[in-house]
Amino acid sequence: MKQPNLTNEDRDASRRKMARTIGLGLLAGLAGAAAGCVQVTAPDRPIVINLNINIRQEVVVRLQDDARRLIQNNPEVF
Amino acid sequence: MRRLTLFAAVGLAALLGAGAAHAMQDLAQLRASGQAAEKADGYLTAVGSASAQVRSQIDAINIQRRAAYTQLATQRGATIEEAAAAAACQIFRTRIAQGNRYVLEDGVVRTHNSAEPVPLPAHCR
Repeated sequence: MKQPNLTNEDRDASRRKMARTIGLGLLAGLAGAAAGCVQVTAPDRPIVINLNINIRQEVVVRLQDDARRLIQNNPEVF
Repeated sequence: MRRLTLFAAVGLAALLGAGAAHAMQDLAQLRASGQAAEKADGYLTAVGSASAQVRSQIDAINIQRRAAYTQLATQRGATIEEAAAAAACQIFRTRIAQGNRYVLEDGVVRTHNSAEPVPLPAHCR
């Protein structure tokens, strides 16, 4: 049974393995960067957010005729 | 004689008071003077530093608007906000004249130049 002492051979072997693993990792990283990136730059148009989440569009459309009459009949208020 | 003097004094004060500040403006005058702007949510807002009287006038108008929106909403099975939003579309289409002010969802106060159409709130399109 061999004595479990670390030799230069062991050191070099593990270093080689480490270098290979890191090299592969870098390569994979570069490939990823070249292929599909995650964009962190802002788009050129401003992001429009409609905050009126309580308003149903179809209801607003449906109320247009009533609204028109309402404001025509009440010029002091509308 | 004392009572007469008192009445005269009160009367004079009232006249002076009415004349010193601007006379109560109606909606048309508030719009024309640019002191009130129409908002995309169907209500009026005071523009810049408005006097207390102008603000209270605008408040009074908004209270009446809300009452009308509430009634419409109840009649048509809608929310008050939806009724107000619907009215805003009509107001923006028909009530904003040259020089009148309006405020869209971005909060910017704009003055209408009738060479171009008034942009409508997003929910109106």
